[in-house]
Amino acid sequence: MSPRLSEQLAHIPFRSNWSPRSAVHGQVPIRTFGIRSLNPPKTSRFDVGPGLPLLKSTPTAALERKANTLPLRTGAIAIKKGMTGLYDATSGKRIACTVLQLDRLEVISHKTLQKHGYFAVQMGAGWRRPANLTKSLLGHFSANGISPKRHIYEFRVKDERGLLPVGEPVNADWFKVGQYVDARSNSKGKGFAGVMKRHGFGGQDRSHGVSLTHRSLGSAGPSQGGGSRVYPGKKMAGNMGNEQNTVQNLKILQVDRKNGIVVVNGSISGPKGCVVRIQDALKKPWPKVKLVSKSS
Amino acid sequence: MANSSSILQQLGCFRSLLTKPRVSGVTTTTTTSRRMLTTVWSAKPAPIPFPKKLPEQFHDQIPKRFRLNIARKKMKIYPPPPPLKCKNPVDFIAQTQLNKLDPSGKRRELFDYRRHARSVKPGDIIRVTFKNGDPFAGVVLSIKLRGADTSVLMRNQLTRVGVEMSVKVFSPNVESVEIVQRTQKRKRRARLYYLRQPRHDMGSVENLVANYLRQKRALTGTKMGGNQKR
Repeated sequence: MSPRLSEQLAHIPFRSNWSPRSAVHGQVPIRTFGIRSLNPPKTSRFDVGPGLPLLKSTPTAALERKANTLPLRTGAIAIKKGMTGLYDATSGKRIACTVLQLDRLEVISHKTLQKHGYFAVQMGAGWRRPANLTKSLLGHFSANGISPKRHIYEFRVKDERGLLPVGEPVNADWFKVGQYVDARSNSKGKGFAGVMKRHGFGGQDRSHGVSLTHRSLGSAGPSQGGGSRVYPGKKMAGNMGNEQNTVQNLKILQVDRKNGIVVVNGSISGPKGCVVRIQDALKKPWPKVKLVSKSS
Repeated sequence: MANSSSILQQLGCFRSLLTKPRVSGVTTTTTTSRRMLTTVWSAKPAPIPFPKKLPEQFHDQIPKRFRLNIARKKMKIYPPPPPLKCKNPVDFIAQTQLNKLDPSGKRRELFDYRRHARSVKPGDIIRVTFKNGDPFAGVVLSIKLRGADTSVLMRNQLTRVGVEMSVKVFSPNVESVEIVQRTQKRKRRARLYYLRQPRHDMGSVENLVANYLRQKRALTGTKMGGNQKR
């Protein structure tokens, strides 16, 4: 709650129409001789009054800011199965494509503005042996009437119309052929990689007196003039890959509801068998599909 | 530096030594051991019994562990939906596409040289016609069997310049494939890349192809040389 002005203070009129020439204290005008700082306007300690802008640090305001960049409906958890090629029927061109599979995908629960501060659909895919799950997760599944799931992810949606009912399965025909999706997944892990591989540094000379540092970085920064320290964010050797990567605007080429197959144009980060989250593309018009009615 | 009040607080510990420890319920004569100066042993307080005949509306005010009959609610574990039947979707997609591109299976037979005797083999001279673009003829250097992505590499000479062309066999652009001349002797390797060397190069096959087309025209009686579809 924003602090409120007590009633007594609230009745005092604030001088908003303060002129530089003269300030009015009560009824007697006081001359300021053009010097503004002589009688500065009195401000209230309290941020009150009509016409104040709404606070921007609330969940509601955050949701309003994100209204144009949040998808209307939930996405899907898929498993990358591999790549193949398809021939375009009209041009006869071969199109490289990635085959994804949706495995027993269901809605587990919702996140709502009232309770959590945002709208999201929690989805679960696959199946996991109950003995291998923690009790807290098992309780979460049993409370929602869902079988234990292997992969759990949230998909943010714009408003409550995107909240698909709990327990509802999402099949491959959730996506329409021809629509565009964004696919996010973890890239292939490369382990501890040097700067040449990780950041594309040039390395050092093969010869000319260079010894044992042919693939290492040159200098890590300036000397005493630069503070005798290594600046934050300096590119160095380290773990490479296995970080989330989003590939935007991939076209859906084929959909097979029975086998849960979604064929997507182009490549997706990660090895075969990795988890891919696909959702309606942000940079394309939303697909024309029926959303959940507000009453349900 | 400790001021006077903190010193007094520390001295207050000794008070416990002087006073007799009070033990509720059980009467003990003396306590034999003291663990520390500040802590005195005292018996664990007996649990307060759950009030009998307490109206049910007050039950939830009592901590859960003190309530009677707290039977753990058993978690119900729901069975999973039936698993997917398709275990290898990539192969499934490739196979369905191949069936669509080659419904009769003849094109597959024509290039699967390991299983079919009458298929195209490395060293043969073939002529490929396209839906858009000129036909191309040449010696088969290699056949890459990759399902729907099966391709054939042909070599020829056009205007005395060696030309090679790789054709995706199942591409919808490929209209027909004809065998112009089979190799005289079976080639003992699958990839005939040595034909690129000048001493092995076959040169242009245009004459052979023209001869073949003339013969075919004579047999079929067509003027333009209709393509035999395989």
